[in-house]
Amino acid sequence: MENLSASHPFLAGMSAHHIELLASCATLKKFAEHEVIFRIGEPANGFYLIADGAVALQDWISERGTITIEMLLAGEPLGWSWLFRPYRWHYHARAIKPTTAIFFDGTTLHHLCNQDLTFGHELFKRMSEIMVRRLQASRAKLIEALKPQKGVW
Amino acid sequence: MEVNFSQEWESVERELLQTANMEATVQTNAELAAHPFLSEMSPHHLEVLATAASPKQFAKGEIIFRAGKPANGFYLIEKGAVAIEGSVFEHGAISTDCIHAGEPLGWSWLFPPYLWHYDARAVEPTTALFFDGEILRELCKDDLTLGHELFRRMSQVMVRRLQASRARLIEALK
Repeated sequence: MENLSASHPFLAGMSAHHIELLASCATLKKFAEHEVIFRIGEPANGFYLIADGAVALQDWISERGTITIEMLLAGEPLGWSWLFRPYRWHYHARAIKPTTAIFFDGTTLHHLCNQDLTFGHELFKRMSEIMVRRLQASRAKLIEALKPQKGVW
Repeated sequence: MEVNFSQEWESVERELLQTANMEATVQTNAELAAHPFLSEMSPHHLEVLATAASPKQFAKGEIIFRAGKPANGFYLIEKGAVAIEGSVFEHGAISTDCIHAGEPLGWSWLFPPYLWHYDARAVEPTTALFFDGEILRELCKDDLTLGHELFRRMSQVMVRRLQASRARLIEALK
């Protein structure tokens, strides 16, 4: 598990001690193609690092049914809702290929972060960077969607 | 008795300046404590943050920062509203987000390449506190609890904005 954690891009350059702490609350999970990883509204109890495969973040709207908001590939983290109230998933996550992921237990993580501030800081810093990148990507998609259609006039 | 007016005046000037600085600091501290983004932050952290803060005012329509320019800090909006805009060559500016009073503005100073990703424009007369990124980085290096506290608060807003932005995207795609 330690080797697997250490080789994940999200953790690149992290100290051996912090990797060890992470490994202490990690479990390996496998999901079949189309399997739901978590559902909107369910308690968010940790986060995933996708080691292999691909995961779609999905929402459901009555007019169109399931809509994919974002595709997360191997090498990326999945799940922020465990960090903040109300600690419930905001979207569905579904494996769209056979997927392997490392799951990190949120309760243990919260505890470890409180005990070791440098660990908590490191984790928040890395997560924030991904959040900002995803926010920028989402805004870029929004701009694309809001652009007036070509050939209107 | 010979009175050195020039010396006396200098000392009066110095005193006035000190009082003005103290008043400005006290005012900034009170402003900081009142901002929702910093609610329940320790008095010590507020004091430290105040050393990196300066008040800014923007007229309606004024650009606060431009995409591609160096991102050198962040803002806490006190009054007014700010639109985040992306320029699309053939269509001009398209607004993706509106940041209101009580909210923070600007993440790009945190991560490489340290350049603004979008334009920010005041859509109403706007008052904000600007926090100098270079000073903040130094302060966070000296005090890990401050850095952690800031990142924790910022990431909470980031997640909320990400969810809001995705909701708008879903709306736009309907």
